[in-house]
Amino acid sequence: MFHWLEKHPFFFAVGVFLTIAFAGLVEVLPNFAQASQPTIGTKPYTTLQLAGRHVYIKNSCNACHSQLIRPFKAETDRYGHYSLSGEYAYDRPFLWGSKRTGPDLHRVGAYRTTDWHENHMWDPAAVVPGSIMPAYRWMFKNPANIDTAYAEQLTVKKVFNVPYNKEIPTKDGGTTMVKLADSLDGAKADALAEAKRIAADMKDQDVKDMVANGQIPEIVALIAYLNGLK
Amino acid sequence: MNKVTLTGIIAMIILAGATYLAIGMTKGGLGGDIVNTLAVAGALALAAITIFVVVKYVRQMQTDKATGELAEENWDGIGEYKNELPIGWAVLFMGVTVWAIWYFIAGYPVNAYSQIGEYNEEVAAHDAKFNAQFANMDDATKTEMGESIFLVNCAPCHGINADGIDGKAADLNRRVSAKTVKYVVEHGSNNHLLGTEMPMPDRNGLFNANTNALITDAEIDTVANYVANGMKGDGAEIFAGTCAACHGPDGKGQPYVAPDIAGFTPELVVNVLNNGKKGAIGHMPAFNNLTDVQKDALGHYITSLSE
Repeated sequence: MFHWLEKHPFFFAVGVFLTIAFAGLVEVLPNFAQASQPTIGTKPYTTLQLAGRHVYIKNSCNACHSQLIRPFKAETDRYGHYSLSGEYAYDRPFLWGSKRTGPDLHRVGAYRTTDWHENHMWDPAAVVPGSIMPAYRWMFKNPANIDTAYAEQLTVKKVFNVPYNKEIPTKDGGTTMVKLADSLDGAKADALAEAKRIAADMKDQDVKDMVANGQIPEIVALIAYLNGLK
Repeated sequence: MNKVTLTGIIAMIILAGATYLAIGMTKGGLGGDIVNTLAVAGALALAAITIFVVVKYVRQMQTDKATGELAEENWDGIGEYKNELPIGWAVLFMGVTVWAIWYFIAGYPVNAYSQIGEYNEEVAAHDAKFNAQFANMDDATKTEMGESIFLVNCAPCHGINADGIDGKAADLNRRVSAKTVKYVVEHGSNNHLLGTEMPMPDRNGLFNANTNALITDAEIDTVANYVANGMKGDGAEIFAGTCAACHGPDGKGQPYVAPDIAGFTPELVVNVLNNGKKGAIGHMPAFNNLTDVQKDALGHYITSLSE
């Protein structure tokens, strides 16, 4: 066998490749499979949160804001616990970002609230003196795209088996569930119900009126997403 | 004489001469300086050993004949003798095997680099230093520390001057605003501040002992201004009749019953930092990222603002 391999360099090369590739798989795959499992407490996005995530991507928030807290004391003091890979299990695509013109947002939901986001997105410099972030006032008028968010939810549930309507363990030892409606109308109704809870904490009368009329402005979806980042 | 040996002797003479010239011409000369003498001895020894070894092996290659039994395996005419493994190699091989087992089981897992491990060490070292440095802080140091924590964690909402940025967050330079008092009276409060189990009732549970009726809109406005003004002006009777039962006649609260509404206390601030708060202006999240020492320091700073 070895004499034969030595006389056939092509198959020898194939054998070398297979040996090294196997060693690589043994090294990489088990750890990868373990690390990519959702961490306890990580939940799939609701319809409204996902619509907000689309707003986040559409406006290229990730160009200035990262979502990756590195394990350094200076970072964890400011942003909270360092990021774990399993926390991105339902992020498609992940929004780690590679540049921090603004601060990291991976746990912004833990230390900012709806009313702060509302003030900040309307006029960032009014809340953060010297901020160079632009205002995003059109988000207070443009309707969020719930249809696409629901389509994505259906897709990831079917293709990646994302646990919608299933019990998910939480950090306190209990379980929770993220609902996915059976129909688009149901999803819209769920998103509107969630939007109403957020709009109740907001002050902008136009936003409140839109939500009361059954429309969801982008800002509400975005705040739902940001509040969910913990 | 053999040509190889002769070359060796000539090389030795050249190297010795070069050493003599190189060192003899430096400051101190050959004999006057112990360092120079040692350097010469070392250089000569190195040259002698190198030349001896090279000559020996070149001679061996010229004269040695291959002997011993050949193995049956043959690779395109290249064969292998069935010689005993040299004892040094065997010992080395066994030693490396033992070391490899140790390294696989204990050496690597225990000593391997870990980013999280480095982070944990960094945090532990920082905490130890922090705790040693701030073990017994006086109030002035706490206030100073609180200010720097405030600027990082609180200023984004409450503003650098703690004025709440035009009503976007609570103005911490005063205990409460009339708006907040009014909101709490109308909606009640269930913040479980300072270990109080009983929530404060909303306006449908607040009797004015003076009129023996539920508190009215006008009374709420008056008492809200009274509390916001630091317990001064109109409304003292309404406060005494309605609020004083729990918050005390001077508004300083009672332990486990009601918080101080006349001024801030560090305990009150720590409680808000632990639990967050939802009130007239909006929702404040809990700040459990801060340590107990930092929360206490922040409490002293915020208390100092309105003093």
